[in-house]
Amino acid sequence: MTSLWRIFWLELTSLLRSWTAPMLVAASIGWMFASERILVTDATEEGGREMVVRYGLGGVFALLVVALLAAATGSIASEREAKRLQLTQVRPVSAFSIAWGKFLALVAVGAAALALPCAMTALSPRFSGRMCNHVSHPAMESPRAEAEKMYDFYMADPDTPPEAKKAKKAVVLRLLEQRAKDNYMTVQTNETVSWSFPSLATRLDTDKPPSVRLRFSNDFDMRDDVRGQVLADGLLGVVSNITKTAVVVPLVAGWTKCEPGVVSFRNDGKSPVMLRPRQDVELLVEAGPFGWNILRAYVVMVSVLAFVVAFGVFLGAGLSRPVALFTAMVMLAVSEMSPSVVDQYPDQLETDRIDRIGLAITRFVERGTKSVSSLSPLSLVADDDCVEVGDAASTFALDFVALPALLCALSALLIRRKQEP
Amino acid sequence: MDEGVIRLEKVSKTFRDFWLRPTVAAVDSLDLEVRRGEVFGLLGPNGSGKSTTIKMILGLLSPSAGKVSLFGLAPSAKAARARLGYLPELSYLHPFLTARETLMYYAGLCGLPRKAAKERSDQLLEMVKLSDVAGRAVGGFSKGMARRIALASALIGKPELLVLDEPTSGLDPVSTKEVKTLVKALAKKGMTVLTTSHLLADSQDICDRVMILNRGKCVAEGKVSELGESLEDFFLAKVGSGDDFALADFLA
Repeated sequence: MTSLWRIFWLELTSLLRSWTAPMLVAASIGWMFASERILVTDATEEGGREMVVRYGLGGVFALLVVALLAAATGSIASEREAKRLQLTQVRPVSAFSIAWGKFLALVAVGAAALALPCAMTALSPRFSGRMCNHVSHPAMESPRAEAEKMYDFYMADPDTPPEAKKAKKAVVLRLLEQRAKDNYMTVQTNETVSWSFPSLATRLDTDKPPSVRLRFSNDFDMRDDVRGQVLADGLLGVVSNITKTAVVVPLVAGWTKCEPGVVSFRNDGKSPVMLRPRQDVELLVEAGPFGWNILRAYVVMVSVLAFVVAFGVFLGAGLSRPVALFTAMVMLAVSEMSPSVVDQYPDQLETDRIDRIGLAITRFVERGTKSVSSLSPLSLVADDDCVEVGDAASTFALDFVALPALLCALSALLIRRKQEP
Repeated sequence: MDEGVIRLEKVSKTFRDFWLRPTVAAVDSLDLEVRRGEVFGLLGPNGSGKSTTIKMILGLLSPSAGKVSLFGLAPSAKAARARLGYLPELSYLHPFLTARETLMYYAGLCGLPRKAAKERSDQLLEMVKLSDVAGRAVGGFSKGMARRIALASALIGKPELLVLDEPTSGLDPVSTKEVKTLVKALAKKGMTVLTTSHLLADSQDICDRVMILNRGKCVAEGKVSELGESLEDFFLAKVGSGDDFALADFLA
């Protein structure tokens, strides 16, 4: 344990005295101030708040990911190249302690550099009194289950393309699953549609009535006016003449009773509206103040930074510094792009071989980095959505503890195995 | 029976390229034993396999064949490393640390409690005459000062075996003499020392026994006193005088 803390202390001292850590902290705070002056908002309070969270804090987070990844790739590689690592290796110190000590020091710097901008945001008068909301979605069959149900019908359908009929079942199921996720429903004029929210009955607090968030997509993507009523457990909300695609409808005590645990929407507008129930209908229940939400988001971001640092340490343990740095940056770019590529090109029925290979590689990277990219805490905070304690805890356990421990163990193996003549 | 502190049995090391094809046979079937309390010199021209042998003894390289043991244990064993001090050919210090912090760092790695580490650091700083600059970053040290702090770092854990790779490299004649005196004093106290040096006169002064390596093989081994009056003459006879280089003809 002593040797672990000595290595932690050495790395931290190096980061402080080489000005790496102070520069990172200064750049983080500097960007928070600069972003408010440089970036242009839509001049609304809401837009200003979103800008601070998405682009102020988001910029700091992006900066830290890149800077810490670069520092992490060099932490072991540069020590080895300067022959200082061998002086530590000949002491009674485990290779795991070397990797873990360096990892902890880099994460400590990242956590400190992120803490100040987060604290600045939490204490800003702009966010004073803001509350965040638990978000729940309608209880529906999973896209996978829906895809499995549709499979036989789809394969028997004469309109199904011949490429799909020749494809493997797993490929077709993935295609149908993506379609199920993106499945739009149309609500005709004067039509009422309902969705079941099992959480509604247990969570509903009459002192703090919930809201419903709806995202509409009109026919032909035109933004016509939307009018209607939202009903939930005796509460009523009115959607009136909105042109936004997303609207939050606060519910108040109404006169209409409806089925318990059910949210309904009646389209009172002149034209039909479209939405994807799985993604576009959300029940919002007040969850607590903004400060606690940003604290949970901070835990998630530090955990993601920890995973990135551990990955950098791992690459640096096995490769020379320039190669490790290049590999890390390419992996980072691909992992950032892969979710949108997979989302935009879900079709597995590509006939071009190169395209198929490219998609397969992208999907592989997307799966490997899902733990990092699946939870986007700043998007949640910007939308006043709660970063759930369970999600923060599981991200911490996976990205701060389990994956770094595994990567540091592999780094230790590489440190022991890598032999320099 | 006298315990062999270091024992190499038929040890070979062949470096391989990316495709695992053998490139250099750095050490070839080497047998070596260093006994407790002796000062052993590993001599040889450049590329003779001295550094590779030392790295195998330290556990930084694994042998391609044969067996290396340190205090009867594998060189990678923590128990063996806890009894070892190592001074590399160049000092390789952490430039941002001060002299005292450098010693405290290595003391921590050796598991010394904080108070004992501080006392030992002060003693060693005094011994290598760097107490006055104990608070200065070692990155700004001269080569000689860096060498002395590296030597102090090697001694911080009170090792039983001290491995010195070119210990007098970069030192002025006064400091060289001091290092030689120190090695003799440590040997007198019972410390085992394994040293390499290009300066044969230095080895002659401090070593009890030497081994001469050439192209990875042992060409001679024995007590310094048994190898003739001049170690240099003996060395040149064993590994070649270098006359075939014909520098004078080249320059003419």
